[in-house]
Amino acid sequence: MKNNINMMNKIVCFSFFLLIFFSCKHHENEYHSITDKIEAESKNYQGTSISSEAHIGDLKTIEITEGEHTFLIPERKSQIKSYACTECHTKPLAQMQSKDFKKAHWDIKLDHANENTMNCVTCHNPDNMDHLKSLTGNTIDFNHSYNLCNQCHTKQFEDWKGGAHGKRIGGWAPPRASMTCVNCHNPHKPHFESRWPARFNTQKVKERE
Amino acid sequence: MRRLRVFKSLVKDSLDTITHGSKKYHLWMAFLTFGMLVGMYCYSIQLEHGLSVTGMTDRVSWGLYISNFTFLVGVAAAAVMLVMPTYVLKDIDFKQAVLIGEGLAVSALIMCLAFVVADMGGPSVLWHMIPGIGVFNFPNSMLTWDVLVLNGYLFLNITIPFYILFRHYQGKEAKSRVYIPGALLSVFWAVAIHLVTAFLYQGLQARPFWNNALLGPRFLASAFAAGPALIILVLAIIRNFTEFKIQDKTIKKIAMVVTVAAQINLIMLISELFKEFYAPTHHSESAYYLFFGLHGKDALLPWIWTAIPLNVLATVLLTFHKLRNNFKVLFFCCFILFIAIWIEKGFGLIVPGFIPGPYGKIAEYTPTGIEIGVTLGIWALGAFVFTILAKTAIGIELGKLKYKKNS
Amino acid sequence: MSNNNKKWFSLNLGKKEHVSSSSCSCGKTSGGCGGTSKAHDMTDDEFAEAAIKASIGEERTKDGFEQVFDVKMDRRTAFKKLTASLLIGAGAVSTSCNVISGDESKEKAQIDWEEQFKGNYKLMTDEERQATVDRLVRSYQLRTGKTINMSSKNAEEDVLFGYAFNISKCQGYMDCVNACVEENNQDRNSEMQYIRIHEMKDGKGFNFNEADDNYYHEVPAEGHFYMGTQCFHCDNPPCVEVCPVQATWREDDGLVVVDYDWCVGCRYCMAACPYDGRRFNWSKPEVPEEAINKNQHYLGNRMRKKGVMEKCTFCVQRSRAGKNPACVEACPTGARIFGNLLDPNSTIRWVLENKKVFRLKEDLGTEPKFWYFMD
Repeated sequence: MKNNINMMNKIVCFSFFLLIFFSCKHHENEYHSITDKIEAESKNYQGTSISSEAHIGDLKTIEITEGEHTFLIPERKSQIKSYACTECHTKPLAQMQSKDFKKAHWDIKLDHANENTMNCVTCHNPDNMDHLKSLTGNTIDFNHSYNLCNQCHTKQFEDWKGGAHGKRIGGWAPPRASMTCVNCHNPHKPHFESRWPARFNTQKVKERE
Repeated sequence: MRRLRVFKSLVKDSLDTITHGSKKYHLWMAFLTFGMLVGMYCYSIQLEHGLSVTGMTDRVSWGLYISNFTFLVGVAAAAVMLVMPTYVLKDIDFKQAVLIGEGLAVSALIMCLAFVVADMGGPSVLWHMIPGIGVFNFPNSMLTWDVLVLNGYLFLNITIPFYILFRHYQGKEAKSRVYIPGALLSVFWAVAIHLVTAFLYQGLQARPFWNNALLGPRFLASAFAAGPALIILVLAIIRNFTEFKIQDKTIKKIAMVVTVAAQINLIMLISELFKEFYAPTHHSESAYYLFFGLHGKDALLPWIWTAIPLNVLATVLLTFHKLRNNFKVLFFCCFILFIAIWIEKGFGLIVPGFIPGPYGKIAEYTPTGIEIGVTLGIWALGAFVFTILAKTAIGIELGKLKYKKNS
Repeated sequence: MSNNNKKWFSLNLGKKEHVSSSSCSCGKTSGGCGGTSKAHDMTDDEFAEAAIKASIGEERTKDGFEQVFDVKMDRRTAFKKLTASLLIGAGAVSTSCNVISGDESKEKAQIDWEEQFKGNYKLMTDEERQATVDRLVRSYQLRTGKTINMSSKNAEEDVLFGYAFNISKCQGYMDCVNACVEENNQDRNSEMQYIRIHEMKDGKGFNFNEADDNYYHEVPAEGHFYMGTQCFHCDNPPCVEVCPVQATWREDDGLVVVDYDWCVGCRYCMAACPYDGRRFNWSKPEVPEEAINKNQHYLGNRMRKKGVMEKCTFCVQRSRAGKNPACVEACPTGARIFGNLLDPNSTIRWVLENKKVFRLKEDLGTEPKFWYFMD
């Protein structure tokens, strides 16, 4: 009888330790945190076969290098309907403001900063309509219009270069193609309009009654 | 060969016993059968339309089924309170009660498994859980631990009484050498099934209401109160309706177990309430919801405020020897304690775990008719199984069922 | 409309077993057993065809009672079927286990059989993965006559997906939610949505209790900001730990995915998720046929059945092909940034290294790969 109980005790203890042993969770490559893991595993990053080139598709892009970032942005000039501007703007602006001319973009109202800060000629060059101009009067190409914006919006520019501001085109994979300022913001009216949400969930309402 | 013949005769005899009985017995069985049929009908609707026919939603994704499952695991575990003294400590008093207790454990376990299956979204692919042909995520998932311990416990609780009854059926004494190791193992096992079930909830960092260290011990305490309370009630009924003699001393001893467990349970409840309400944090919201309601949502208030007074009243009454020894008071106490713990550990534990949701959203839970139908059906199934087991066991113990060599 | 129950695609494999067991017991794959006819999933034209075919065993797995009194049927369909079955009479029943049943139905039955008893996708070899995908594509073709494109592309080396969300940019338009639902074929009846946008009050911090995630008014609302949540694809996902059958797991590229066909529907993962990232199909998910996104991945937006879990997969069908998830692409404000965490030159890495980022419930140790930041 006593032997039996002794045996039993042994078996119970043994199975208990066996249980403890098996219940240990073994993890390979355990890092202290995800950031450690990212750091360690990206050290010998080889690149992937995935490319977002196919997803960019037929979109015409140009490559820009700003600071340490090199990436693609959509080409702009070919998308402007009546480029080059000088095809119409043959005379200086003052001479064109007469009744004889056909009106083209008379309806544009500037809603960007206040009147003290900006008017049309803050960005447009009245002497050469094919280009934009910086605050100091330097020429800026329409394809690089972000250089115009970053004169004031320096913080957004930094974020945009890094990828924290703005949208990617194509996919996440390299090569990186990002929208430029004017692809999302109308330069004459840069803020986003308020509107109604795209969706409303009626089931959720029922659930929470 | 001989054993097989004995077994055949046992099956035949027990079939004979369970199909014969008084009018009351037949009525009772018919009632249970009806309950099971209703449950099966409700379950067929659930199979057809999916779990959307229940009151569960993405917010409260476990409900009545899992509540009952949790509670019944406790009832099953409580059988050990009778096993331990009888088999291991050789306390003669419990001997008659223990077979009943183990029968109760078996039927409670069958109900547990039925509730789990009823709660599954895809019962037809449950084979995915069978080791070998499926994938069994052991030891990572606590649910696999639970499956293991529940089935193991079911096995123990079937084999031990079966061995004893099988011997008695042949007019022999059961050899203690054979069943004592099993009984000893089942003592550890019973604690394990309930602790593992508690760990099922306790291990979820996502649900602060469950993720506290007291949950496991409280499960045990409440189980050892509710389980034996049910056994007392069952013994009282058996004493009334059959010739099976159960001494007052046995019932009084079990009552003692109930009392101590209920007292410990109450202490733990107070400790829990103190922690939640003296220094409330963001994590106390579930407790607030349970006891006082949150943002005007208070579906659980009637339940929990039924349970708490019943619990306190039963514990206080049981604490006094004089009252406890009065069987009328004792049965009443056992009944209200059983109800109180059923609420507290079923609804009162599972539902608030999900409310408020991870982002503070509240969607309340009310079981639907179909859900209640299935639940009642499973309870009827449990009662049915228990009646069959108890009737056979009592027949053998009373010597009515005996193996005749010639037959 | 008699065809309102046929517009939907419904791959209800779970039901099969019950039906087939009642029809015949031979259980062979070649003899035309073990499958079920999709009587209520057919289009009108197909039904007409089926009625004719019935005499050679098209309707073989459902008995007459089920065919006629199937709850999914409306009166017109029921009447048609009743007429058909009267015409065909007992013929259909007698040929129920017939070997001369059509090749297509035989193939359908075999596919159903193999799909019912296939293994866990996680443990499959690449060939087995391709085989199950081929079966699913073929099955869809047999049922609807339309072709889908399903991929079983595995995780790429040196890729770990991460996501960043700019709280100051989100305007609460919910275009992401819209795109997500359409891309991922989510159940339209229960309006399942993976993404929640919480409208928070300014000056209250990240107080989810007072946030509204189901607003409907012009946005952005005065004095509010918006914060989106979805599955965060934790690197140490509690949902994966608890699954009893390993039906959900973390892929090598960091995506936490579900094998819908392996899931048993216990919803333990749902209870374990601290971020409300998981959704359950409480009833049969239904998507109008014309709205189904046919570019699918086995682990992503393929059709689900009732009683299984599903969740955001960062649009695995898109992201493994190099595209951005639908929500990222749909966002008009550029608040959502997605990329490869292991690529030191990726934009997501720049965000993590240069912005003040934080995650939700970091104290739980789940290591979500979803960061929030502000301008």
